[in-house]
Amino acid sequence: MRSRKKTGPATVIGIILVTFFAVLCIAPLIYMFLLSLTQSETTRFALSDISFDFINYRNVIFRNDYGRALLNSVIVVVLSCIWTCLVSAMAGYGFEKKPVPGKEIVYKIFIATMMVPGQVTIIPLFIIMRDIGWLNSYQALVIPMAGAFGVMMMRSFVKSVPDVLIEAAQIDGCSEIYIFTRIVMPLVKPATVSLTIFTFVSAWNAFLWPLVSTTKSSMYTLIVAMSLLDTKLETNYGLIMAGATITFIVPFVLYCFLQKQFVEGIALGGVKG
Amino acid sequence: MAGKGKKTKRTKRQAFYGMLYILPAFVVIMTFCVITIFMTMYYSLTDFNMYSPPEFVGIKNYLTVFQNKTFYAALTNTVKYVAVTVPVQVVLALGIAAFLAEKLRNSYGGFLRSAMFIPQIVSAIAASAVWKLIFRTDGILNSILAVFGSEGMNWLGDKQLAFLCVAVVSIWKSAGYFLVIYYAGIMGVSSELHEAAIVDGASAMKRFWYITIPSVKPITYMVITLSVIWSFQTFDVVYQMTGGGPGTSTITLAYMIYQFAFANYKLGFASALAVILLLFVLLIHLIQDIFFKEKKEA
Repeated sequence: MRSRKKTGPATVIGIILVTFFAVLCIAPLIYMFLLSLTQSETTRFALSDISFDFINYRNVIFRNDYGRALLNSVIVVVLSCIWTCLVSAMAGYGFEKKPVPGKEIVYKIFIATMMVPGQVTIIPLFIIMRDIGWLNSYQALVIPMAGAFGVMMMRSFVKSVPDVLIEAAQIDGCSEIYIFTRIVMPLVKPATVSLTIFTFVSAWNAFLWPLVSTTKSSMYTLIVAMSLLDTKLETNYGLIMAGATITFIVPFVLYCFLQKQFVEGIALGGVKG
Repeated sequence: MAGKGKKTKRTKRQAFYGMLYILPAFVVIMTFCVITIFMTMYYSLTDFNMYSPPEFVGIKNYLTVFQNKTFYAALTNTVKYVAVTVPVQVVLALGIAAFLAEKLRNSYGGFLRSAMFIPQIVSAIAASAVWKLIFRTDGILNSILAVFGSEGMNWLGDKQLAFLCVAVVSIWKSAGYFLVIYYAGIMGVSSELHEAAIVDGASAMKRFWYITIPSVKPITYMVITLSVIWSFQTFDVVYQMTGGGPGTSTITLAYMIYQFAFANYKLGFASALAVILLLFVLLIHLIQDIFFKEKKEA
C-alpha cells in the first residue's frame, strides 16, 4: 500500500491547502478564546494583554445573569435528551415490531415533517404555548425537541433486534414493559448514545424557539443570553467573547471525549435513514 | 377456529400496545409539526395581531406580501444564499473528503477531519459574535489585509460584502459536517474498484470523476437536501451578525417571518410569508427528486 503512494508536488500542495482550511475552521475559535482573556476595548490585542485570571468569565457569570442561563440550559438539555430518546425509542419499537394498522402512512407523515422549516410552524407553536400558559416554561423548551428524526433513527436500529427474541420473551410471559426496557432498549443502546448527542447539541444551540418562547430573563437559555450580551452596547469585547466561549466549551469538551459518537450521532445519523 | 380467534385477540392486543408506544411521538409530532402547518395556512388568511383573535380577510395578506419590496429582497437573498452556499459546501466537502481518503488516511488526516468538524458544534450565535468582530472595519481581517498592503474593507457595512460575510459564516459552519459525511461514504466505496482502476492505469483525477462521484451519489443527494434546507432557514447568523442589513441586503425569508411576527406582531402577514417559504421548500424537493430520478434512469 505505502510504496505505491508517491508524495508528488500536487499532493504536497493539497496537504497544505487542506491544512490551511482546517486552520481557518478553528482560528476564529482560538481568537474568541484569546480575546476572552483580555480587557479589550478594541478587537486587536497584544499577547501581553492576555491574563489567565478569567475575570471576564467571573463577570459574565455573576453579573450578567449567565449563571442562571447556564443552569436553564443544562436543565433543558438534560430533559430534552431523556424525553427525545424515550419518545423516539418507543415510537421506533412500535412502528417496527407492532402490527399497528395504518402505521406506514403515519410514519410517512412523520418523515415528511422533517423537511418543514421551523419558521413555518413557529407562529402557531407560540400561540398554542401561550394559550396553554406554557411560555417561559421548561416544558415548552423540551417537549417540541422530540421529532421525526429520532423516530427514524431508532426505527432503523430496532429493525436489527431479532423478532424471535421478542417472541420468546412473550412466550415466557414477560410483560410489555419488561420486553421494552430489558430487551429492546439494551440492544439499541448505540443509537440511544448517538441520538442523545444529537439532541444535546441541537438543544444546547437552539435559538429561535427559546428566543420566542422565553420573555422572562430568568428563563433565558444560554444562547439567548449570549445573543443579548452581544447586542447590548457592551464595549468590553473580552466579556462578550467570554460569554461566547462558555457557550462553546460544553459541547467542545464532550466532543473531545466522545468524538466517534459525535460524528455518528450528528453526521451519520442522517445517512442511516 | 378457537385458535384463530385467540390469535386475532393476541394481534389486537399487540396492535393496542403498538399504538401506546407510538402515541407520545404521535401527539408531539402531530401537534407541533402537522397541525401547526394548517394553523399557519389559516392564519395567513386572517388579520391577526396576537392580542385580538384572528379575523378572516381572505387573500389580503398575500396581496400585501406581493406588493412588499422587502419580500422581494428577502426572496432574492434566500435564493442567492442557496445558490452560493450549496455548491461551495458540496464542492469543498467532497473535494477535501476525497483528497483525505486518497492521500491522508493517517492520523494527521484524522486530526484535520476532527478540526474541520468543530464549527458544526459551535452555536451560530456565538460564531456570529466572533465573526462580527473579525469583520469589523478595525477588526482582525482588515489588520491581516493591511499586512499585504490592502486598505481593508467595510465588510458588514457594504451591501454585497455583508451578504458575502453571512454566506462565508454559513459555509464555515457546515462544510466540515458535510465533509465528514462524504468521508464516511467514500470509505464505504469498495476499494477493489479503485485497485482495479489503478491497475488499469487510471489517474487519481479519473478515479475521482468516474468512481468516487458516482458511488457517493446518494450522499450527494442527502448533502444537497440538507444544505438547501439549511440555507432556506438561514436565520441565526443574519439575526446576530447583520440584522438583515445594511438596508435589506442580507434579509432572508426566515428572518423576515420572525421580524414581522415577533417584532411587529403582524402574525397574518408573517404566516403568509411562512406559507410561501413552505411552498418554496416543497418546490425545491420536487425539482431535486425529478433531477435525481432522471439521473438514476440515465
